[in-house]
Amino acid sequence: MGSYEQPSAGGGASSNGSSSSSGTRPAEMDGLLAGAGYKVKAAELHQVARRIERLENVMVNSAADISHLASDTVHYDPADIGSWVDTLLTELNQTVSLPCDLLELPDLPTCPLLDETTTLDNRWVVGQNDQSHHSLTPQQQQFQQLTVVTSMEENSGIRLVHMLMTCADSLQRGELALAGSLIEDMQGLLAHVNTSCGIGKVAGYFIDALSRRIFAAGTIGTGSSSSYCTGSPSEDEVLYHHYYEACPYLKFAHFTANQAILEAFNGHDCVHVIDFNLMHGLQWPALIQALALRPGGPPLLRLTGIGPPSPDGRDTLREIGLKLAELARSVNVRFAFRGVAASRLEDVKPWMLQVSPKEAVAVNSIMQLHRLLGSDPTREPAIQSVLTWIRSLNPKIMTVVEQEANHNQPRFLDRFTEALYYYSTMFDSLEACSLQPDKALAEIYIQKEICNVVCCEGSARLERHEPLAKWRDRLTEAGFRALHLGSNAFKQASMLLTLFSVEGYCVEENEGCLTLGWHSRPLIAASAWQAAPEYEVA
Amino acid sequence: MARSDEVDIKESKMVVPLNMWVLISNFKLAYNLLRRPDGTFNRHLAEFLDRKVPANANPVDGVFSFDVIVDRETNLLSRIYRPAEGEETHVNIVDLEKPVTAEVLPVIIFFHGGSFAHSSANSAIYDTLCRRLVGICKAVVVSVNYRRAPENRYPCAYDDGWAAVKWVSSRSWLQSRKDQKVHIYLVGDSSGGNIVHHVAMRAVESGIEVLGNILLNPLFGGEGRSDSEKRLDGKYFVTIKDRDWYWRAFLPEGEDRNHPACNPFGPKGKNLEGIAFPKSLVVVAGLDLLQDWQLAYARGLEKAGQDVKLLFLEQATVGFYLLPNNEHFSPVMDEIRNFVSSDRFVG
Repeated sequence: MGSYEQPSAGGGASSNGSSSSSGTRPAEMDGLLAGAGYKVKAAELHQVARRIERLENVMVNSAADISHLASDTVHYDPADIGSWVDTLLTELNQTVSLPCDLLELPDLPTCPLLDETTTLDNRWVVGQNDQSHHSLTPQQQQFQQLTVVTSMEENSGIRLVHMLMTCADSLQRGELALAGSLIEDMQGLLAHVNTSCGIGKVAGYFIDALSRRIFAAGTIGTGSSSSYCTGSPSEDEVLYHHYYEACPYLKFAHFTANQAILEAFNGHDCVHVIDFNLMHGLQWPALIQALALRPGGPPLLRLTGIGPPSPDGRDTLREIGLKLAELARSVNVRFAFRGVAASRLEDVKPWMLQVSPKEAVAVNSIMQLHRLLGSDPTREPAIQSVLTWIRSLNPKIMTVVEQEANHNQPRFLDRFTEALYYYSTMFDSLEACSLQPDKALAEIYIQKEICNVVCCEGSARLERHEPLAKWRDRLTEAGFRALHLGSNAFKQASMLLTLFSVEGYCVEENEGCLTLGWHSRPLIAASAWQAAPEYEVA
Repeated sequence: MARSDEVDIKESKMVVPLNMWVLISNFKLAYNLLRRPDGTFNRHLAEFLDRKVPANANPVDGVFSFDVIVDRETNLLSRIYRPAEGEETHVNIVDLEKPVTAEVLPVIIFFHGGSFAHSSANSAIYDTLCRRLVGICKAVVVSVNYRRAPENRYPCAYDDGWAAVKWVSSRSWLQSRKDQKVHIYLVGDSSGGNIVHHVAMRAVESGIEVLGNILLNPLFGGEGRSDSEKRLDGKYFVTIKDRDWYWRAFLPEGEDRNHPACNPFGPKGKNLEGIAFPKSLVVVAGLDLLQDWQLAYARGLEKAGQDVKLLFLEQATVGFYLLPNNEHFSPVMDEIRNFVSSDRFVG
């Protein structure tokens, strides 16, 4: 008796009745193909097979060098075999008749963001069935997923992890004395563990975070234990900058978002970018330059940067805005900047952004949305109201980048466990970039994040990371639909990584979104969204 | 081109279930786009198109998985699949590398296929296959994410396979209770099958014991054109032309297909007589154009006095083991289970 599956085509029925309204269940996906990572409706197998046959005939009969042509095509959603085949059919059918010499074009020199794709059909392929990902196999239960990459060599490494877990567990059960004594033991054990990589590297920071939590136990949530975890805005900005330089995560985020924004702004003369966290505006010079070189000329670009109010009467936002304006002027892009100072994103109201109906709006959120998930039982979660007003702006695109981690689970021990593996992987990747001088401060940046996840509670705990699957659900429920980032964005992101000349980073495509990870563990996820037309805003 | 341009699609459609036909045809077409005539490979597009799944330390259908770094120098990863014990729904992180409790536990080191260029240990099709192997064989499976061609030619894949064997054999937590040794079996399909043979050779030469080899539709070849290649060219998803491309991508530049990596019993092959080579199970699909080379491999082992069992499946195509809904799947899995279990009941 084995665990052989039934040879049926409908094995992958969607188990998720889904919170969305009306009764019709999504048509059943072929369960076996779902297990292989593909979405094909059982009822459509024959159609898809026919299209594959057609594609094959076109490929065989085409005199062209298929690999060259096809690789210039931008591919979207490879999991949906039917639409992937269609994209290629469109591409090949329209070029099969070109004279041969036009097909011998050399590879264009790479200029990130300007590598205009040659798709003859510039449409976005939108996920056909927003619930389709629920009908995937149980293997893809991402909410409960626990992805671990480990290299525990020695016994002391294993013991250390064991003690960390026991300590976290006793904390959770309120046994502070036991937790405290474990802290001491762990600090002793740390001396015997290889602290240059893996668990050993990050254990020290977790021991530290746990001890802060224990010894400030009476003050959890009141902010005093969290004072280390949330520094001043200017401190944060400095650390952020070093983190930006030391490893590719933020660059990947900016790069991928800019690519998507650039494409969304195609054909628009008035565009408005709303940045949820301006910081030093590191993301925008590249976009400004790309818009400057746009065929047909740059649009009028407005940038609204949101950030915390600056102390000492300075206006940091305005200063950044001025620098960006200077850059824009130097490349002949008409540019206007507006700063919106708010200590919390939920304090921002849409009227402050002064969006005009004529402009194409891009909302850009790099690791900000998770901060809105803090639960205050007395009111509607901030995330709801913010997503509602974003949607009311009817943005052409909303780019969202978030940590790919489950750090907002209700149980402390679960969050702790997940964080231990997430951050050890992240520290590993940082270690590999060891030539960068920014590494030390970048580590402190990450350490503060760890501290917030582990030590803080209530409104002080801002780092409430949730995985892509959860964001998909949330955003879909809030009336957004996914825009797929295609193979071009994937390629650009992969090429960006080669600049870091470090082996081990990996870019992956995940149902239209891109993730960047280290050693097969995704650490950061980028996605793009727009308002779904059918949704009725209450 | 020498071969007929009439693609006999109807024939291949008649011998496999429709969803399998869609799956393998999809691979075929995608792979056509990735291979460039100049021998380079569109790796970015390949990675974009490949459907991958993450490891999952929470048991699903009784199996959980996690990734390990086998060799930091080469960033060699492997994915480990273990059976969950009892009814546990949540594996404690600390228990990932908990010592096995079985008297005899087979540890399967798995090398995925892809003609040396495609797929990874975390490709969905192989993740699924490895999970099935755990259930069927009651084994731990270690799937090696070896370096691929054309960026990494011979012998990189073999080096990585060898690194994995050394790593596995030195894990105390994988030792069977009975004899405090790790019971290793090498299993692979397509290029993975080829890797199995060559890594087993290294194991023998270095004194690490491998209990058995299982080769599913292994990738072998040679300079001549065998009858099966000529007869089946282009008929069941595979062409001679694409096979040639992959050998040019994997073998050292300037070498031909009589290189021993490709043709282990060819003119440049090694003599295996008298060597303590592991017993082998060789599975050959009757509609695979490489079958003559695969049968020659099995014969070569036999002639050298080695223990080899040949399983010839007349109506099977390449990739039949990727989905369970065909008549060949169960019998082959049964054979595999028996093969890795045969030392279990020895007193």
